[in-house]
Amino acid sequence: MTTVNLNPAGLEPAAAEICPPGREAWRMFRRNIAAVAGLVMLCTIVLVCVLGPVVFPVDPFEIVWAPLTPPGESEYLFGTDYLGRDVLAGIVYGGKATLVVGITAALLSVVIGVTIGALAGYHGGWVDSLMMRITEFFQVLPALLLAMALITLFSPTLTTITVAIGIVSWPAVARLARAEFLRIKQLEFVRAARAISASDARIILRVILPNALPPLIVMAALNTGTAILFEAGLSFLGLGDPSQMSWGMMIGSNRDYILSAWWPVTLPGIAIFLTVLSISLIGDGLNDAFNPKLRER
Amino acid sequence: MVRMVRKFVACLGLAAALAVAAGMPPTAFAEPKPGGTLVWVTQFNPRHLNSAVQSGVATGMPAAQIFASPLRYDDKWNPQPYLAESWSVAADGLSVTLHLVKNATFHDGKPVTSKDVAFSVKTVKEHHPFKSMFEPVTAVETPDPYTAILRLAHPHPAILLAMSPALLPILPEHIYGDGQDPKTHPANMKPIGAGPFKVEEFKSGDYITLVRNENYFLKGRPYLDRIVVRVIPDGANRAITMERGEGHLLAYEDQLREIARLQKLDHLAVTDKGYEGVGALVWLAFNTRKEPLNNKAVRQAISYAIDKSFITKALMLGLGTRAYGPIAPGSPFASSALEPYELDLDKANRLLDEAGFKRGADGVRFSITVDYIPGSPLQKSLAEYLKPQLKKIGIQTEPRPSPDFPTWAQRVSNHDFDTTIDAVFNWGDPVIGVHRTYLSSNIQKGVIWSNTQSYANSQVDQLLQQAARELNPDVRKQLYNEFQRIVVDDAPISYLALIPYRTVYHRGLANVPENIWGVMSPLDEVYWETPPK
Amino acid sequence: MALLVSLGHRLLHVVGLLLAVLILNFALIHLAPGDPAEVIAGTMGGVTEEVLAEIRRAYGLDQPFHVQLLTYLGRIAQGDLGYSYYFNLPVVQLIAERVLPTLLLVLSALILSVVLGTFLGVLTARKPESGFSHLITLFSLAGNSAPVFWTGIVLLILFASVWPIFPVTGMQSAIREPGFLAAALDILHHLVLPMLTLAIIYLAQYSRLSRASMLDVLGSDYIRTARAKGLSERKVIFKHALRNAVLPVITMAGLQFGNMFAGAVLVETVFNWPGMGRLAFESILRRDSPTILGILFFSALIVVIANLLTDLAYRLVDPRIKLK
Repeated sequence: MTTVNLNPAGLEPAAAEICPPGREAWRMFRRNIAAVAGLVMLCTIVLVCVLGPVVFPVDPFEIVWAPLTPPGESEYLFGTDYLGRDVLAGIVYGGKATLVVGITAALLSVVIGVTIGALAGYHGGWVDSLMMRITEFFQVLPALLLAMALITLFSPTLTTITVAIGIVSWPAVARLARAEFLRIKQLEFVRAARAISASDARIILRVILPNALPPLIVMAALNTGTAILFEAGLSFLGLGDPSQMSWGMMIGSNRDYILSAWWPVTLPGIAIFLTVLSISLIGDGLNDAFNPKLRER
Repeated sequence: MVRMVRKFVACLGLAAALAVAAGMPPTAFAEPKPGGTLVWVTQFNPRHLNSAVQSGVATGMPAAQIFASPLRYDDKWNPQPYLAESWSVAADGLSVTLHLVKNATFHDGKPVTSKDVAFSVKTVKEHHPFKSMFEPVTAVETPDPYTAILRLAHPHPAILLAMSPALLPILPEHIYGDGQDPKTHPANMKPIGAGPFKVEEFKSGDYITLVRNENYFLKGRPYLDRIVVRVIPDGANRAITMERGEGHLLAYEDQLREIARLQKLDHLAVTDKGYEGVGALVWLAFNTRKEPLNNKAVRQAISYAIDKSFITKALMLGLGTRAYGPIAPGSPFASSALEPYELDLDKANRLLDEAGFKRGADGVRFSITVDYIPGSPLQKSLAEYLKPQLKKIGIQTEPRPSPDFPTWAQRVSNHDFDTTIDAVFNWGDPVIGVHRTYLSSNIQKGVIWSNTQSYANSQVDQLLQQAARELNPDVRKQLYNEFQRIVVDDAPISYLALIPYRTVYHRGLANVPENIWGVMSPLDEVYWETPPK
Repeated sequence: MALLVSLGHRLLHVVGLLLAVLILNFALIHLAPGDPAEVIAGTMGGVTEEVLAEIRRAYGLDQPFHVQLLTYLGRIAQGDLGYSYYFNLPVVQLIAERVLPTLLLVLSALILSVVLGTFLGVLTARKPESGFSHLITLFSLAGNSAPVFWTGIVLLILFASVWPIFPVTGMQSAIREPGFLAAALDILHHLVLPMLTLAIIYLAQYSRLSRASMLDVLGSDYIRTARAKGLSERKVIFKHALRNAVLPVITMAGLQFGNMFAGAVLVETVFNWPGMGRLAFESILRRDSPTILGILFFSALIVVIANLLTDLAYRLVDPRIKLK
């Protein structure tokens, strides 16, 4: 294999300079208007999804009005879906499940990916070969199809869906982590840590990992967005969990009515779009902020 | 309704009746214009095209174009001559004699003979999932090439309906009689039949091209040169295709939003005729062996809590038809005096209270799950509807999705479920499509669409056994009335509605079949009155 | 010689990988609850116990797991992926019928997104802080943030229903004009919307990647040298910088190809494109195990081949990479 870094998110991992992501990065991030806008947008979305259900305690599954009432034609601002459920309530309540799926799946992918990548990059040799074979195995399998197959193995519950998404999206993280570990373990301060015979675990977790974090954080953020899109896609194909209100589920159960009613599909679609967009903007901003080469300009 | 029953009586041929048919089916007013291509849009992708070994609409629709059958039906349940120009049922009901037309040939030029009929009956009897259709047939005698006599072990009132286009395709013995398993026969992908159209190309999941059979035994027909069957699984796609005039015929459509939209277009017509034969019901089935659903009062309470009017009016946009019992409205045997289970939440709550299911502190009496066949928007919507609706009577209801059809079939056939939405067809005669759901002898673990409710009532068993051998339609109707009354009261199933199938077609088309089998009968009379530009 | 050894090594590695894919997928499918015999029976409309037993015998489902696996592997070695439970056709034939439409869709979308993405990336890299540059970035991010099926539905409604200039469904019209040219034009006409949908999603990745690598290259010494020599800016960018900046884009396109291949399932569903993705999806819903296994294996094979080719192309294009 070539040793060129090929991470699919198109990120440039930090090059020569090693400094913990700190004030400097934040200063850079703040200067990036798009990234700040993304952050504000994401915070608003999270706030609505967390506080909304507390402030307006309703049952999003309740049939409240005639089915497919357009927005503005009743007291329900976003109209009703094909069963007559409030679309606004669905969006507010469904956001939590969607975000939880996205974040949990992304964390899962990072945990698996970093573990595999760190072992490979740090130990090298046969461990590296083995880990990379496993990674390659998951990389040649088509992610969406594998996730669909996994979900059909068990029943389509939110947990299964989350785990399936996590399992298919870690290989890119592993490759990135491996590249970072390979690079950092050559550096002076790691050699110094070895010289004082610190344990492997200590070196991996306390010395190398903190320095490898910046690109991994960016990737975790982007994976969250991808996982949310993934959940929506699975729901669209009918592999969602109908007993849990989520944005994907709303799209999945209303898609058959799209030609006569745009709102119960479009509005959750916009919610997904805005969430993923804000995450992408933040990820972009973080990437620029962590990337010293860009900082020079 | 009464008149329909009488006609039905008449044609079944009571006492040694020789029901020689009265010639050709009525032709249209204008002189049919030959030529043109029909683009037929469908959501179903058939596995193969041999309806002798495969039930269902997907195969049934194209197979009715490819194969001819002994009989066809009009819109009043009267059998009409097809390959059999006349037929008679013996007075004792123990034999049926078919006199075949003499000029029928298969697409490869070989003549259709009584041997092919005998072979086809045998094949269907052995391999078709609907065992009850030809079960009593002990032998088929072929005294000459154009006479076939079916010998029966006992009188069998469903025998003539079982000879309909969708149920008894006449297969060429010289092709299927080669010893290969007909279920996996290579010819199933491009079969040779004696029907009005020949298969030109079958591209699974995409299209089937059928071309005019020049040597069709009904002279001058069919009128169309070609039929292209296009498989489009997505409802919105189907609707736009019809809207833009790229499709001309769309049958078995149950996405009512789209139908309501298409109905308003000038170039399209919509009909609900042609579905009397299949009698498609959608229902909520209970696992009657499982707590607390083994309690009749609980099942009745749930039936009272479901607002059937909401389903047919709001969910189905007023295009739905209520169904009150196991026999679909439209069948001459459907009873009109059944408990309708109109929405009555008070009564439902009272029934549950009396049965001893008290509400807990959270207002919940107990929890159940609802399964449904995946991939059907109608079934999923009904399952989702039950969640908020049954909450009103304190039953916590969770839809339990199945990722794929086999998972659902596995759960339901192995009785590993609480309740399930299901779509079940009557298939013409109750003996074919209704008995299987209620006979206690048909509680067969592992077999889907058997009596998966585990419903057992000896009185019902007895009534059905009697009805399966009774040739007098009036007596039979009495038996079925009693059967329906008992089953509706026992409520192993809550009947939700008739599946609101519609046929949408281009107004330039004439003679789109509106008989009881609809498009599952030959389209040999269809022609372009005013072809699209 | 070193190249041959290296290639042989890689080939061996690839075979091992594919074998692992086969075994694990086979195990995965067979772990699933549900009796394949009932699947087969269910598709025929429900049957009796005896028929179930007969089906089990006929398909070898009454054999223990390892026997079934070995039989399966043996057949694959002979190029036989088994028979579909549902259609009772060879899986190879089913895949062969569907692979061309998917390849057409994915390759055209890939080429479009790579070319357009690189172009946009280069444009934005020249003036990274300009308003235009930010607009392009935002636009491509937006394309990447919308669910793919959603983009497809919007395009479908806009350009097939509201403003009907493109066909709605499938790859060819039901009523066809004779002649090769007419058929090609017909397919092209059907291709536009699904191709755009798929390309929009991946556009962002290529524009971002080429922008990043372009910025990287533009900062390097030899570009400074080229500029110092007084070469025109256009020449610097398109002759010297682009060639190097495009390398990671090629690599990514190779890696991405497999994902796109499988990810096409959503686009194929929306546009009723008769491709492999839809076959895979429908087979999963029918639990048609031989077909699912066949498609997973075939996709893995395609990815492996794409990776090999990318690797090869990379070695040819970039002399800096030495053989290990």
